Amino acid sequence: MSENILVIGGGPAGLNAAVMLSELGVNVTLVERDSFLGGNPKKFKYKFLFPDMQPADNVIGELIKKTESADNIKVYYSSEVSDFKENGKKFDAVIKSTSGSETKTFDSVIVATGFEHFDPARDAKYSYQLFDDVIDIKDLERMMGENNFVRPSNGKPPKKVAFILCVGSRDRHVGNQYCSRVCCTVSVKQAIEMREHFPDCEAYIFYMDIRTYGFFEDLYWKAMEEHDVQIVKGRIAEITSGPDNTVVCKGEDTLLRGPFEIPFDMVVLASGMEGGSQSPEISSKLGIELDEHGFLKPENVTLSPFKSNKPGVFLAGACTGPKAISDSITEGAAAAMNAYTYAVKNR
Amino acid sequence: MEYDENGVSIVPAELKKEIFEEARKDFRYEEYVRGCLNCGVCTGGCPPHRFFDFSPRIVLQKMKSKDPELIWTMMDEYVWACFQCFTCAMICPFLNSPGGVIAILREIAVRRGFESAKKVLKPYSRVLLKLTAYGNQLSPDMIQPDFFPDWGPHIGYASTDLAVKRKAIPMPTLQVTNLAWDVAPETMKELYDIFDEAGVFKIIESVDPSLYEIIQDIVDDVRSS
Ligand SMILES: Cc1cc2nc3c(=O)[nH]c(=O)nc-3n(C[C@H](O)[C@H](O)[C@H](O)COP(=O)(O)OP(=O)(O)OC[C@H]3O[C@@H](n4cnc5c(N)ncnc54)[C@H](O)[C@@H]3O)c2cc1C
Ligand code: SF4
Ligand code: SF4
Ligand code: SF4
Repeated sequence: MSENILVIGGGPAGLNAAVMLSELGVNVTLVERDSFLGGNPKKFKYKFLFPDMQPADNVIGELIKKTESADNIKVYYSSEVSDFKENGKKFDAVIKSTSGSETKTFDSVIVATGFEHFDPARDAKYSYQLFDDVIDIKDLERMMGENNFVRPSNGKPPKKVAFILCVGSRDRHVGNQYCSRVCCTVSVKQAIEMREHFPDCEAYIFYMDIRTYGFFEDLYWKAMEEHDVQIVKGRIAEITSGPDNTVVCKGEDTLLRGPFEIPFDMVVLASGMEGGSQSPEISSKLGIELDEHGFLKPENVTLSPFKSNKPGVFLAGACTGPKAISDSITEGAAAAMNAYTYAVKNR
Repeated sequence: MEYDENGVSIVPAELKKEIFEEARKDFRYEEYVRGCLNCGVCTGGCPPHRFFDFSPRIVLQKMKSKDPELIWTMMDEYVWACFQCFTCAMICPFLNSPGGVIAILREIAVRRGFESAKKVLKPYSRVLLKLTAYGNQLSPDMIQPDFFPDWGPHIGYASTDLAVKRKAIPMPTLQVTNLAWDVAPETMKELYDIFDEAGVFKIIESVDPSLYEIIQDIVDDVRSS
């Protein structure tokens, strides 16, 4: 008889875990809160992915296709784990979906509940939701994904756009001290995309540190060298409205200009990643630990980043902290391997 | 006082070290100076930054450098450019308080009677006198067209017949012109004790000795009444 493994969350991490387990012959139950699979990349219609600008569909679409076509993966859409109990070394879970509740016993569990985007309205200085032309990187992903890159205020193409980094990250005021890791690269990628498709639109990036770590650095160099993106060191202190329907970024250029107030047609806030409301919820439901940043806590961040503190419950993807899709997919595979080993050992 | 080519007063290295130590020992220091991202948010929001070569980011960075030489460069003029509005403290992502650091440095300059402090406090001698001798800050008789041109076109009228106008106020303690309100001698005595304990009189003695003498005459009178 094959093993039964529960995967919670159908983003890149959960999907890859499900696909790997299915290939091992495991019966997989995939519980997804949304009515569709693919996680945040699907929800916000990411179009091209860093680092190589390949179409998101190559990655996300591929994983969804494999999941949906596997006989031994049962996907529950718009569903949740409503009750969870240990049963010896196994686990009893109640899965609640639109078609009712079902109780199933699992040999092991993978949590891949991901992240939520920081809501920039929480930091008043950026005037998000106050001015139509202040948007954030997830809004821009969606705009680009829908081929609708225009100023929300008047429907016209912008001529000058600012990207503001570290929104909702590295800031004690909003309670997030950590770096969200991907937003520098996402912003640089978006600036390149914008310059490629709309060459007469100028792009500025206001940064405190550019953290295009590892090979992502290539994009940063490319942005300056091939796309003439202006990179200005200084965090924005305030966004106000300016003449001619502009939004004005006010700050200190700490290297060159000193104080500045520059009007833009549109401002894109690089909002970071948060553990969201799902992390504490899953933490209390499954009895696994939450860390001080609001994400799920691995048993050992270095030795076993994919294990929770509870034997038999494994973690994968952005639920343990900000990371790129490739890392989430790698962790999905690692968690699958560990969940499988645990299940086989306790058969 | 002699100045170097950057306009910084020349003093012995020992004094600079002493100033730095004094600031570091201040009970507020740990709260005001944490890490610093060098991000410039404080400076971006700082009103005087738009008008002078002044930056709260530099204040915090110099403090964190622990270099007494660098900190000294702020003691003559730099620290007096701040409005003490504390916008910087409200928006710093690290929760530093550059404005608070400036308050600490200013207090040192005042306590030690530095030239810069004397110069800055000179125009405030009228206020200092009222405050320390009578426990009031502004009084009706200080309203004079020459001093408050920004109070609008009716300042001339406002400054005449003060005694009569004050009588129109129903509160008995407010019917004085040399004070904002009448302060009971017992209250004044308590106030003097507080100023003594807090070293306020000593500070005034060091920044403005002649003002100090005038204030002490009043204090002695009240205390012996
Ligand atoms: C604007 C932006 C652009 C990005 N662009 C790129 C890029 O170009 N390249 C790249 O490598 N990375 C990119 N990333 C990072 C990428 O989004 C993440 O690495 C990835 O989405 C993490 O995958 P995940 O499966 O861990 O989480 P998610 O994508 O967050 O998926 C989690 C899933 O779990 C579901 N879920 C949550 N809670 C529950 C629950 N209680 N029960 C059931 N289901 C639940 C959610 O509905 C969701 O479907 C970007 C990030 C941002 C913010
Ligand atoms: S990745 Fe860049 S923008 Fe995002 S939090 Fe880190 S430094 Fe800031
Ligand atoms: S307190 Fe001083 S340094 Fe801080 S913002 Fe106000 S004027 Fe600038
Ligand atoms: S805002 Fe805070 S962290 Fe940023 S430069 Fe100023 S003092 Fe440093």
